Amino acid sequence: MSGKGEVLFEIQDLCKAFGSNLVLDHISTQIKSGEVVVIVGPSGSGKSTFLRSLNLLEIPTSGTISFEGQHITDKKTDLNRYRQKIGMVFQHFNLFPHKTILENLTLAPIKLLKKSREEAEKEARGLLARVGLEEKAGAYPAQLSGGQKQRIAIVRSLAMHPEVMLFDEPTSALDPEMVGEVLNVMTDLARDGMTMVIVTHEMGFAREVGTRVIFIDEGVIKEENNPKDFFEHPQNPRLQEFLSKII
Amino acid sequence: MEDFKLRFYTNFIKDDRYMYLVTGLGNTLAITFLAVLLGIVLGFLVAIIRSTYDKTGKGRILNALCRVYLTVIRGTPMMVQLMIMCYVVFGNYNMSKLIVATLAFGINSGAYVAEIVRSGIMSIDPGQLEAGRSLGFGYTQTMWYIIMPQAFKNVLPALANEFIVLLKETSVCGYIGMMDLTRGGDIIRSRTYEAFMPLIAVAIIYLVMVIVLSWLVGKLERRLRTSER
Ligand SMILES: Nc1ncnc2c1ncn2[C@@H]1O[C@H](COP(=O)(O)OP(=O)(O)OP(=O)(O)O)[C@@H](O)[C@H]1O
Ligand SMILES: [Mg+2]
Repeated sequence: MSGKGEVLFEIQDLCKAFGSNLVLDHISTQIKSGEVVVIVGPSGSGKSTFLRSLNLLEIPTSGTISFEGQHITDKKTDLNRYRQKIGMVFQHFNLFPHKTILENLTLAPIKLLKKSREEAEKEARGLLARVGLEEKAGAYPAQLSGGQKQRIAIVRSLAMHPEVMLFDEPTSALDPEMVGEVLNVMTDLARDGMTMVIVTHEMGFAREVGTRVIFIDEGVIKEENNPKDFFEHPQNPRLQEFLSKII
Repeated sequence: MEDFKLRFYTNFIKDDRYMYLVTGLGNTLAITFLAVLLGIVLGFLVAIIRSTYDKTGKGRILNALCRVYLTVIRGTPMMVQLMIMCYVVFGNYNMSKLIVATLAFGINSGAYVAEIVRSGIMSIDPGQLEAGRSLGFGYTQTMWYIIMPQAFKNVLPALANEFIVLLKETSVCGYIGMMDLTRGGDIIRSRTYEAFMPLIAVAIIYLVMVIVLSWLVGKLERRLRTSER
């Protein structure tokens, strides 16, 4: 684990093109341990692509990403080992429908961290308790509401003890009344000092929980700032326009 | 009625003729069962190679080989394949007919199983692969623990139906001198000079097996549909 405030991600001139479509255009930034970085921007601006580049679900076309001083964009990187350290939460949960909730949580720790079943299950139950879903251990994903599924998806990632958590619009697929329960879990996580990178349209959450907000537009970081100044004194005209539309 | 009894007697009881049907049925079941196993192994292998290529672009040459296999097997009649296996591939060897037939039917059924399984794999949400990979599972592990169990469940009824088809298809075995159920009935016919009794008996045996298997598949389908929902 890195100490608070140390640089975790160093991203330099990250570019990603799909065919001739340049989606990320020389993105450079740092992410430090303990930060809660919120990424906002219009649809199709490259937010997901940026987030997914961080755990190499998308392979950058050029540029470098290093994590704790290691160039993860190197061919030599052990991708599977690297990804164990990076938790990822998706818009559509992606729970494993053929496995019970408990099995969803214990599969990776047992197979990848070589934990014993008892140990993994004990920890999984602890995590379930943390999000108030202990009684769902034996249920299947299809029996859960959207908000419950997303809370399970979050703790499934936590079971791997990641150093960073990435969230790609974790509440966008939820009915409005379920958004709160997921944001609460994320807020607790942030309070516990988890480093988080979050793509979201929840501006209230960004303002209250975020330590930094990044505005991506047309594949470029047009502005980044602390939440207060970001929302109260936006500089970039595109950001001003963006904020005026959504708030 | 007396006449029927007599015909039944000459066709099945006299000289233990029913044994042709029993032995034939045994062979039919043996070929079907062994060919099913071979078909599953081949089919899954081909399906995994093909969908890996579709998803990641890896394994070009293997994929091309698989496509040739699928095209040839699905583009030629089963009977021709069986005869080629018997008289061309093993033409110069004294190979057991049971093995020849098992290979021919297994290789044939593998092609159909492959396409069923591949459609099952492709029907799984790509988010499943991403979720597996981002937990730190490798591609093969994700396929094994996450994708294949779901794909298998989705295609189980289609696979079971494929094997019902296979059971009936083995009736062409007689052409390479294999004593299967159909051939058994035919031998009785040639001894008694009567077609009705032995052939209807054969038909009824197939029909009963197919009805029972279809009923099991239906049960299985309902099971799969109700669980985990
Ligand atoms: N696998 C892909 N192949 C081709 N083009 C892609 C792919 N993934 C994303 N794109 C394109 O890249 C651009 C940016 O996509 P991205 O998903 O990163 O946007 P986003 O900011 O997350 O948008 P949204 O708010 O709608 O989720 C879009 O034009 C999209 O069509
Ligand atoms: Mg997106």
